[in-house]
Amino acid sequence: MTQLDISLTVNGARHELSVGPTEMLTEVLRRRLDMTGTNRDCGMGICGACTVLLDGQPVSSCILLAALADGSEITTVEGLERDGRLTAVQEAFLRHGAVQCGYCTPGFVITSTALLEENPSPSREEIVEALKGNLCRCTGYKKIVEAVEAVARAKGDGVGVS
Amino acid sequence: MDCRYSRPESLAEAVAVLCEAQEATEGEAHLVAGGVALGILMNEKLLAPRWFVDVSRLAELKGIEASEDGGLRIGAGCRHREVERSPLVAERYAILAEMAAEIACGRIKNRGTIGGNICLADPQGDPPVAVIALRATLRALGPKGTRDIPATDFFKGLYETALGPDEILQEIRLPPPQANEGAAFGKFSARRAMDYSSTISVAVRLTRDPASEQILEIGLGLGGSGETPIWAKETEKAFIGRRPGDECFALMRETLFAEIEPLADDLYSQDYKRHVAAVIMKRTVEKAWQRSGGTA
Repeated sequence: MTQLDISLTVNGARHELSVGPTEMLTEVLRRRLDMTGTNRDCGMGICGACTVLLDGQPVSSCILLAALADGSEITTVEGLERDGRLTAVQEAFLRHGAVQCGYCTPGFVITSTALLEENPSPSREEIVEALKGNLCRCTGYKKIVEAVEAVARAKGDGVGVS
Repeated sequence: MDCRYSRPESLAEAVAVLCEAQEATEGEAHLVAGGVALGILMNEKLLAPRWFVDVSRLAELKGIEASEDGGLRIGAGCRHREVERSPLVAERYAILAEMAAEIACGRIKNRGTIGGNICLADPQGDPPVAVIALRATLRALGPKGTRDIPATDFFKGLYETALGPDEILQEIRLPPPQANEGAAFGKFSARRAMDYSSTISVAVRLTRDPASEQILEIGLGLGGSGETPIWAKETEKAFIGRRPGDECFALMRETLFAEIEPLADDLYSQDYKRHVAAVIMKRTVEKAWQRSGGTA
């Protein structure tokens, strides 16, 4: 089988990997790097459970060929905390009950983190717009939006991904 | 089956590699730009590629610039997000920013490219509809050189385009905006972040004759209204020399109903989609008319 040598920097650590040309990034993260925080669900870029940051921007990792990410910096949900301390977004999700079964949560947290990096004080409409591509089947979204609003109001202490 | 992967370093090299790859795989080679539709089709087991030609890093496919004739050139490899946020697009072809804003969601816009979407030729795609209405020219490079294809002649069948298997879409060229021009994009979808088979979209570009307060020229593209993105040629004629209003829209509705054949899906019937297409078209023409300086 054809194999490609690629290099990925995941949560600050560089990995030299040999991947198949048809291998998706989600599988590389979960199976090769044992980072199972990134979930796979719909496989069609619709639900957002597999969202990671690729050079700072949210992407669907389940439909992204790992080869296309060669040379990129990837941030997964595992890369957000610092020395065991959760970020403001993660804390807010806990405090506001924005998590129930938790399957979609990494995708929501990553997407919210990217939004607040780009726009530290988004309006409610901007939050809803940024999260419209993520599906949650438990919370009904209200608490998720409230959690992000709370971080925005708190002027974003410790929100950063780096 | 084994799959090969090439990453050529120039567009000319990409064409050469693509020719070789198509021959070696009997036409099962695929260009990769954003990789969005490709990833979905692979996960759905609708595509078993045998050779990828990765054009995602080619500088020749990037960039949005004013062209020498006063129009705009958009590299086929520009991502939807770039189109949405480009100051040049906002200033001169705001309809494209309006269209790009409506594509799926941020994750998709951060990866998907305008050229990739046009080449996919999904009947629900948004960029094809806009380039039809704007009368864009699609410039492709192949082994025989450069070829300019009018967007109105690009979409040939279900996921089929005028592009040869060995050609690469290089750029989208937009004609210069005219005086008293207005353009708008309208979309109807079951879920805003998802371009499902029930999505219907309409792109309108028109010019207004200030003397007669009538439509002088009009371009109409429709998505979700047939097997391909649709150039609504007959419906365009129904608007020429008329002023948008009840009489004009009644004629549009009649012509449009005969011109489009939307595919029924598990949400909506063909008739309902025709009705929705006419409603969205009326609203979008009104918006374009107002933007051209016309009064309601």
